[in-house]
Amino acid sequence: MIYSELTRRYFEHAACAGAATGADWFRGEAGSRERGTWVQFDLQVPSAEHGGAVWSVRFLAFACPHVIAVCQWVAEQASGLALEARLPQNVQALRARFEVPVEKLGRLLVVEDAWGAAAGAAILRRNA
Amino acid sequence: MSSGVAYLDYAATTPVAPEVALRMSECLTAEGVFGNPSSVNHEFGVRAAERVESARAQVAACVGAEPGEVIWTSGATEANNLAIFGAAHYYRGSARHIVTARTEHKSVLDSCRELERRGWRVTYLSPGPDGVLEPGRIAEAILPETALVSVMHVNNEIGTIQDIAEIGAICARSSQARLHVDAAQSVGKIRLDFATLGVDLLSLSAHKVYGPKGAGALIVCRRRGVQLAPLLHGGGQERALRSGTIATHQVVGMGAAFALAGAEPPGEIGRIHALRERLWQGIGALGGVWRNGDPLRSVPHILNVSVEGVEGESLIADVGVRIAVSTGSACTSAQREPSYVLRALGRDDRLAESSLRFSLGRYSSGADVDAAIDAVTRTVKRLRGISGR
Repeated sequence: MIYSELTRRYFEHAACAGAATGADWFRGEAGSRERGTWVQFDLQVPSAEHGGAVWSVRFLAFACPHVIAVCQWVAEQASGLALEARLPQNVQALRARFEVPVEKLGRLLVVEDAWGAAAGAAILRRNA
Repeated sequence: MSSGVAYLDYAATTPVAPEVALRMSECLTAEGVFGNPSSVNHEFGVRAAERVESARAQVAACVGAEPGEVIWTSGATEANNLAIFGAAHYYRGSARHIVTARTEHKSVLDSCRELERRGWRVTYLSPGPDGVLEPGRIAEAILPETALVSVMHVNNEIGTIQDIAEIGAICARSSQARLHVDAAQSVGKIRLDFATLGVDLLSLSAHKVYGPKGAGALIVCRRRGVQLAPLLHGGGQERALRSGTIATHQVVGMGAAFALAGAEPPGEIGRIHALRERLWQGIGALGGVWRNGDPLRSVPHILNVSVEGVEGESLIADVGVRIAVSTGSACTSAQREPSYVLRALGRDDRLAESSLRFSLGRYSSGADVDAAIDAVTRTVKRLRGISGR
């Protein structure tokens, strides 16, 4: 498969890959390795003095280069993002940005679901 | 290789040997042997026909056949099609059944599926986990109405060698089952003696043996009297089995390549085998790496592995930047299908997707192998890190 230069660059330099734990980290995951796509996000959401926005992101992905590239881009772009926002861009815009074939749209929805799960965990804690 | 990327995909194709390219170039221009080999009423045609027949003798000698048994084709895919459809059409009045294996090349499997659409019955046999097809299974599958048994000599993905002599003996005991063997991956790697194997039809390819793409042959056994109906009609070339002007430069290239293959230095097979085992030792040291196929029943130049804990498309995308290898997975526009060969061996979808086929050849070196070990090690460690494994 031929990948865009952007996809190739973010796939090859996935600097935000990893996991993080701590009092202000919130985790969400979606998909399954058995089905070929699994994504986990850890969002660092410090307390109220930062406005409750996302501070830092780590991700893990068992996935194709497109999904890994999108996860890396999302992780880079998410700093300062409000928890209520879904992703820095919606799935269709991400698909266009990384020239993801339409047949892979479902894999990007796994990214969105994993992000939603992590953000949801943070919102639950904030509202508790 | 010129790009600096280690080429370990010789089972996909090989570079044309310089000696072969030279022979081919002599058959193209006005100064060379450019005549139509069918135009034997003048010198140009006669000289071309002499080159064609010389090449035919070279191919025949390499595989233990008679020159008159060699039918030129455009490659092994056409040879497989001619064998299967040609036999099916010729014998359709008395037979409507074919036996083959689930691990055959697509050109065999798709031909068989097309025959099923035309009302034929096809028995698809599954090999064992080692890729070996038990000859007794073939004996059980042959019916009185079986026209053809089609089994490849060497599997193109995992390198497993089938016991063709035993399968040939089984077919010889049946009333009318002819044996077709796809030997595209055999020449130059293991001994191939058409005259003693009990094979009726043998498919060959030039570009797997340092010859040109677009050239191949079907060996049709005369002694056993096998008959075929042609797929192409026209000038009646190639005993009327394959009409069309013979591409002199292509078949001359194939002949030269097969002559070279038959004259490989005695130590070459051992050298390639040692390189392959060095590659396996290096990659296997990663852990979680499965070797596909039986190394004791395999050609010396192919190593197929499945890697745990990495996604298949990312594996080939990342490693492919540094080394030229194949993946068993079929890649369409966006979706990947796990290797049907590895699935037939019982590998699950994830391991069938995350497979790599390394195939070594004449120009492979220890440095290529070390580069491959380094590339795979870096890629697998990186992707396992990204996936949390």
